[in-house]
Amino acid sequence: MRQAGTYSGILSGGISGKTGPHSFPLARIKKIMKKSGDDVKMISGEAPIVLSKACELFVEEITRRAWRMTMQGKRRTLHKEDVASAVMATDIFDFLVNLVSEHSATSEQEEITTPPAMDLKR
Amino acid sequence: MADSSQGGTPASPGGGSHESGDQSPRSGVREQDRFLPIANISRIMKKALPANGKIAKDAKETVQECVSEFISFITSEASDKCQREKRKTINGDDLLWAMATLGFEDYIDPLKVYLTRYREGDTKGSAKGADGSAKRDGVQLGPSPQLAHQGSFSQGMNYGSSQVSLSLSLSFTCT
Repeated sequence: MRQAGTYSGILSGGISGKTGPHSFPLARIKKIMKKSGDDVKMISGEAPIVLSKACELFVEEITRRAWRMTMQGKRRTLHKEDVASAVMATDIFDFLVNLVSEHSATSEQEEITTPPAMDLKR
Repeated sequence: MADSSQGGTPASPGGGSHESGDQSPRSGVREQDRFLPIANISRIMKKALPANGKIAKDAKETVQECVSEFISFITSEASDKCQREKRKTINGDDLLWAMATLGFEDYIDPLKVYLTRYREGDTKGSAKGADGSAKRDGVQLGPSPQLAHQGSFSQGMNYGSSQVSLSLSLSFTCT
């Protein structure tokens, strides 16, 4: 029915401006959730809040793991190759393998026009 | 692959193509519908690095895509569970269950703390309680009794070592 109606006020920061303190915009999270599958129709008010925090934890974790790769390469700038290596090295990130390998496949193409993204320039 | 990327393969965004996303939609969906804002991603990434660490733009964009993938991954699993149980609304409990199932059980405890704090802030009507940066070393609050006994969905469901009995399904749907 009117699934958005019940809590759309909350998602747009309605009740005491609660969306403010979250790491990510809840409405955006909800949009991405809905695109996850055709059966995703109704989402409780707290679900995007849970995911907002979960995304924060996820970003922190993938960044820390990627940074370890950066350090191993004795570099100071974290690049997407480091993210890809972190994904490859971490079991729970298996669902990202296609995404990051697509990336490196694309970047091979791009190297023709753009300089490689590694710190090789110096 | 070379010509297919020229021809606009739907799911192969090039490294630096994000900035053009707003006006030239990839795969027919606007950038703001597919990803979380890169500024938020960037802020959290920086928090996870030492002060001297730098982050390349391509890394931020990759993480940005990974986060969307993460949301879909968790949501799909939660949605399957709801379908099996013939429920229509995905609630927070379903998401916690999905994360535990998919190997993210380390997230469960911080998430419970976050939610408890959020709710406390809610009842007091102060937004301060749910500070977005959510100091992780904050008070470790166990699930309160009335939360625990409402956790009917999670009964028989043991999230690895951490037993989640928080029912996240109470909430705004009924308010």
